[in-house]
Amino acid sequence: MTYPPGNPYGGQPGPGGNPYGQPQPGYGQPPPGYGQPPPGYGQPPPGYGQPPPGHGQPQPGYGGPPQPAAGPTGTTLNPQTLPDDDNVNPYVFCVSLSGDWFMSKGAMLAYYGNVRFEAVTEYSSVQGWVAARFSSPVYVQDWVVATGHGKVLIGDRGFDLNAYDLDDGNLTIKANNLCAFSPQLELKQSIVPGFVTLIGTGKFIASSNGPVIFVEPPFRADPEALLGWADCPSPSVHHDAQWMTQNIRAMVSGALGRASGEERQYDFTGTGTILLQSSEVAREDPAVLRLVESQTQLLTPSQAGSLGQRLVARAQQQH
Amino acid sequence: MPFEEVNSKVVRARVSPASPVLARRGAMLGYSGQVTFRPVHGQGRGIGGIAGAALSGESNPMMATEGQGEVLYGYKGLHVTVLELDGAAPLVCEADRLLVHDAGLQTSVQFLGSGGIKQAIGGAMTGQGLFTTNVHGRGSVALLSHGGAFPLQLNGTQVGVDPQAYVGHVGQLTVDLAARVGFRDVVGRGSGEAFQLRIGGYGTVYVQASEQKF
Repeated sequence: MTYPPGNPYGGQPGPGGNPYGQPQPGYGQPPPGYGQPPPGYGQPPPGYGQPPPGHGQPQPGYGGPPQPAAGPTGTTLNPQTLPDDDNVNPYVFCVSLSGDWFMSKGAMLAYYGNVRFEAVTEYSSVQGWVAARFSSPVYVQDWVVATGHGKVLIGDRGFDLNAYDLDDGNLTIKANNLCAFSPQLELKQSIVPGFVTLIGTGKFIASSNGPVIFVEPPFRADPEALLGWADCPSPSVHHDAQWMTQNIRAMVSGALGRASGEERQYDFTGTGTILLQSSEVAREDPAVLRLVESQTQLLTPSQAGSLGQRLVARAQQQH
Repeated sequence: MPFEEVNSKVVRARVSPASPVLARRGAMLGYSGQVTFRPVHGQGRGIGGIAGAALSGESNPMMATEGQGEVLYGYKGLHVTVLELDGAAPLVCEADRLLVHDAGLQTSVQFLGSGGIKQAIGGAMTGQGLFTTNVHGRGSVALLSHGGAFPLQLNGTQVGVDPQAYVGHVGQLTVDLAARVGFRDVVGRGSGEAFQLRIGGYGTVYVQASEQKF
């Protein structure tokens, strides 16, 4: 298990003076590599979350180079000073739009220029290529196509944003955390519920709670902390046998209330890279309801009836 | 075994048969190696032991992590601060701020009321609780905070802290509640800073950059 060097603290001053310059070497090579938090980015303010003096290693110099105009504390930004396809600060990304981009609904914060946002609908799309590129009917309602020329600023819940370059690769990511992707990429629904897979060559932007952590299989991840994976086979679900037996014992003795979910992990094998974040407060993913609903097609009418009764009982319990 | 800060929100613990760790339940992000998790009941031998812990509400569901491997811990995107306790003085904090600590450390529940009825009432009014958790021994602790915690060094000086921003403290410190409740507070037009914790002595106070409790 290795983490890319330079991650997460103590970046060196970035080349070219832009501390947020995403280096983005070809994704897919083993670390150091893709999507690695750029130098000088995401560093904490002095003393922030750091061990107190005398309790740890000395902290490398904070910051990096003096902030250029595009820094978070810099001067007022205009279309000329906004970066091209780069981070404005750790939480805001600027897409230099010339043509089309797919964007998640609600990700757009502001824009300059002549940009139109059109719903991605499966069949009545402005162009046929949308349907060909966006082959996930469950997620269609949550996405728009931004068309035109200008600069679009995107953000997501104040989370850290990172741009990733795919080079003839595939990467599966939590649907809630995908903010935007270029139309050269193809989006497909992953077998794992709540995740989507991007295939091809192009750029996409995804959010994470805290900097992204890269690990290599074999590894087991908590479903809530899993951000995505690249190049490895889809995970299987691992149940911790010891935890389960302990839990049953505890339940028998009546001492323990509820399961925490720690007994269930996604098990990764093979080769590839796993992307992790600090687990976030779960946000309602509207697609999950549609996903589950489409699965109920498998049920017989009597099964559907008893499921409905159980769901009604559960909904009433929570009120 | 000290914890390694992977980033501001995630710590990595190396677990071996000789050094298991105790963590908040649900805080495991992922692991590699032969590692098993076992639910345990959080608090140790405090006042009244487990019964006291259940009464006080300071009984956080914990789990033991055993085996050989590396485990990543984080919780709901909250910031993490790693402290090394030298055993000279206990760490005082609330139980739900403990993300993970060495299994060799002992935790106990302290009843604030022993400091007098004034302090007990103060605890109830500030939402600080009537009970806090003491962590004794020598080892590593990872504390949760909202917005990141920063240390304030006290050398016989005194500092006033917003009760909601207070995370915990280490050292020979006295914590006292200062209430300046005037007529304006009663009618809801106060500054919102009517209650303050006055902390004095020698040690370190940890304060988070947010007034959000969790």
